[in-house]
Amino acid sequence: MATNAPSRHAAIAYDNTDGERLIETLHPWRRRLWFQQILRWTEYGVTIGILCVCFLLLIARFIPWATSSYWAFGFAGVILLIAIGAALWYRPSLARSAYYMDIHLALHDRLSTAWELRDNSAPISVLQRHDALQQLSKHTPAASISLWPGRKRLLTFGIAAIALALLLLIPNPMNAVLQQQAAFQARLNRQIAAINQARTVIDNRTAISAQERALIDKILREALARLPQSSSEEQAQQSLAQAQSKLNQLRDPQASQKAQARANASSSLQNSSNANVSNTGKALATGDSKALANSLHNLASQLNNLTPAQRAQLAQQIERAANQAQDNSQLSSALHQLAKAVADGKPGEVSDATKTIESAAAQDSANQATTNSIDQASQSLQNAANAIAATSDSSNGQNSSQSQTPGQGQNPGQTKAAGQGQGISGQSGQNNTNNNSGKNEQVFVPGQVGSGTSNISVDGSTSTVQSGKPVPYSQVIAQYSQMAHDSINNSNIPPDLKNLIQDYFNSLEGRQ
Amino acid sequence: MANKSESTSPQTGIEKAKEAQLENLNTHIGNDVAISEIQAEAEQPGEADIETFTHIAQQLEKELCSIVVGQERVIRELLLALFAGGHVLLEGVPGLGKTLLVRTLSDALELKFARIQFTPDLMPADIVGTTIVSEQSDHNTAGNRRVFSFQPGPIFANIVLADEVNRATPKTQSALLEGMQEHTVSVGDATRPLPKPFFVLATQNPLEMEGTYPLPEAQLDRFLFKVLVRFPKAQDLMRIIDTTVGSQTLQAKQVASGEQLMHLIETARAVPVATHVKEYAVRLLLATHPDQEDAPDSVRKYVRYGASPRGLQALITTSKVRALLEGRYNVSLEDLQNVAFPSLRHRIILNFDGLADGVTPEDLIETIIEETSTS
Repeated sequence: MATNAPSRHAAIAYDNTDGERLIETLHPWRRRLWFQQILRWTEYGVTIGILCVCFLLLIARFIPWATSSYWAFGFAGVILLIAIGAALWYRPSLARSAYYMDIHLALHDRLSTAWELRDNSAPISVLQRHDALQQLSKHTPAASISLWPGRKRLLTFGIAAIALALLLLIPNPMNAVLQQQAAFQARLNRQIAAINQARTVIDNRTAISAQERALIDKILREALARLPQSSSEEQAQQSLAQAQSKLNQLRDPQASQKAQARANASSSLQNSSNANVSNTGKALATGDSKALANSLHNLASQLNNLTPAQRAQLAQQIERAANQAQDNSQLSSALHQLAKAVADGKPGEVSDATKTIESAAAQDSANQATTNSIDQASQSLQNAANAIAATSDSSNGQNSSQSQTPGQGQNPGQTKAAGQGQGISGQSGQNNTNNNSGKNEQVFVPGQVGSGTSNISVDGSTSTVQSGKPVPYSQVIAQYSQMAHDSINNSNIPPDLKNLIQDYFNSLEGRQ
Repeated sequence: MANKSESTSPQTGIEKAKEAQLENLNTHIGNDVAISEIQAEAEQPGEADIETFTHIAQQLEKELCSIVVGQERVIRELLLALFAGGHVLLEGVPGLGKTLLVRTLSDALELKFARIQFTPDLMPADIVGTTIVSEQSDHNTAGNRRVFSFQPGPIFANIVLADEVNRATPKTQSALLEGMQEHTVSVGDATRPLPKPFFVLATQNPLEMEGTYPLPEAQLDRFLFKVLVRFPKAQDLMRIIDTTVGSQTLQAKQVASGEQLMHLIETARAVPVATHVKEYAVRLLLATHPDQEDAPDSVRKYVRYGASPRGLQALITTSKVRALLEGRYNVSLEDLQNVAFPSLRHRIILNFDGLADGVTPEDLIETIIEETSTS
């Protein structure tokens, strides 16, 4: 009996061979499945990538997005790479191949069972393996596992490709917006460069104190820092207006009065019959400190040769000029001192008065230099604002040519006041309302009252309200506020009313 | 003495069987793994056994189909349960051939057949048998003497037809419980084994429910399959006319003996099942429980209790039989899906909502199959 029974070892050896045969048989199927997986996942990656590109390009048609194409195609590329990488990495195992082939070839779990029991030596397991191999032998990998993507997937791919082609071919309406944004950015960059240049010039100016230079420089740097962050013209204008407002706060509110007083005094002195006094007036008018010193020195030398009557007349002329300069207290006081010294005929006192006048004149010159620097800085900001607004208007195609560039003002019929007539739009000049011959109605915002009767052209760009194009509140209110403060300081308004008016404008500023 | 020996001999048989099992167990524990493996190999069915199985199953199916017309599905499910060694509950309206089917099966298998017509006044002793007083001649006294002897009931047969099982009282119904599960009958202080093979094929009528006693869940669970006998189609009715109303009476040929049937059952149990198929069976079973995460919404809504582990055993054993009948040596997922209906339909207990909404266990099983992942 024992000899008739099949040997257990023989059975196991037979089974092992059978298991190896199963593995050998499954290998070509596995390779084919892997290849199919690579192709299929790549196809999925391409299709999903195209759909993602379409989605992102579609978004870019509603939101201005300059780099949408780079992102879309980059994202699609990443998806494709991930798909291919995953397909290569996740190579199907033999067990998985057996399971898949069971489903694909409708083998009713024959292969997966055979794979699991490949080492089982039970007779029925051997039969099962034979049955599985026999069923599998009826098929070939090439015929059973198609690499063709199939109609549905091809259709999906085709639809996605057509959608992508349409999105690429049909012009994007957001391109115009993007171009405008790019142009705006370019303008912004140009103006930033111009402001930087002005800043450098002001930094190199030695006539003003280091502290004032630093203050102006700080304001300009803040404006330069805010400008690149501006996403719209309104924001840029607002930044510039804020900077201008801060610069205006640096101005001496009495500067114009002092300048006027000095001009009046110099004019009065120039009318004197005495050459030295007349030269002193001229020197005061031109700000020539050397000439002033010479003329005063000559005047002191001349005193000994004058009669008391002549000295009294001369002192009276100087006294008149001092009265003319009452708004410039330092100069007025110095002239009064000079008049008294001349009247007394004491050369020592004349020398002291001369020094005082020179000091007052130097102080006025420094103040004037500071004002000029502020004006220059403000002018550069204003030019930037004008350029941004002007280009924007021209890009809209509705810009009129009514705007005038800031010009040099003159005091008609009077002595030319160097630099005093310089004005910038909205800061000097008179309240004007221009009729626009173009399509836009321009409303000029009243600017700061200028000194004298300077007839200064006003550039309405920053202070112009165009229909359909709002002007920043801060820009307008800053100008009105400045004008109001100046008016209050220059008029005989009771202090309590001054506070009331200042509080009113401060409350308006707070609403921006 | 004879009576005594008659009454004790079955018990001795059980003890012997138990001893044999113990010896077998000791052999396995005795560290001689190689010997036990060889023994297991020797018990494994071979190709010839499989061929025999297929041949007998096909013959049996053919015989049954030739006599019971239009119930091919019922016959197939009955054979699945039969070769899996389980009991079957046949449900259908009267006149659909349930009794004929069981009778034909017993004829074809050369098995002892007993029919019990369940009625409300049927007593447990009418099923399992009873001890009676009888007179026997006494050699010592040369006279007669009265002795107690056990009179076996109809349950002592290979195939027991419990006709209209839901018409008897629960007490009587429970008389079947021990026999169905343990294949033994306990009367008094004696436990008697039932003959092998032992199949209970019960029928119940879904109509005329008044005065019936629906089988409790515990007893339903002991049936491997619940087979629904549906009304035949028109062409089947035509065939019924031709085969039953004529002068000739069809008689099934014997295709297998009881011993062969036991061997076939062992053969079917050897069919291998892959792990993923087992896992799918477990998922199917768990999906019948409303408190499981993977249960479909309809199960959560309409089911009170899901199938017991016996349901899982039923799924696997009958799937093995089906695999062989389909010409395969392994169980597939399709086998499980196919046997899920008769295996689980009587094990899914609906709640009030399910009953009120007219939901059937078949609907739920279909949903479970659709929603349960195969991988």
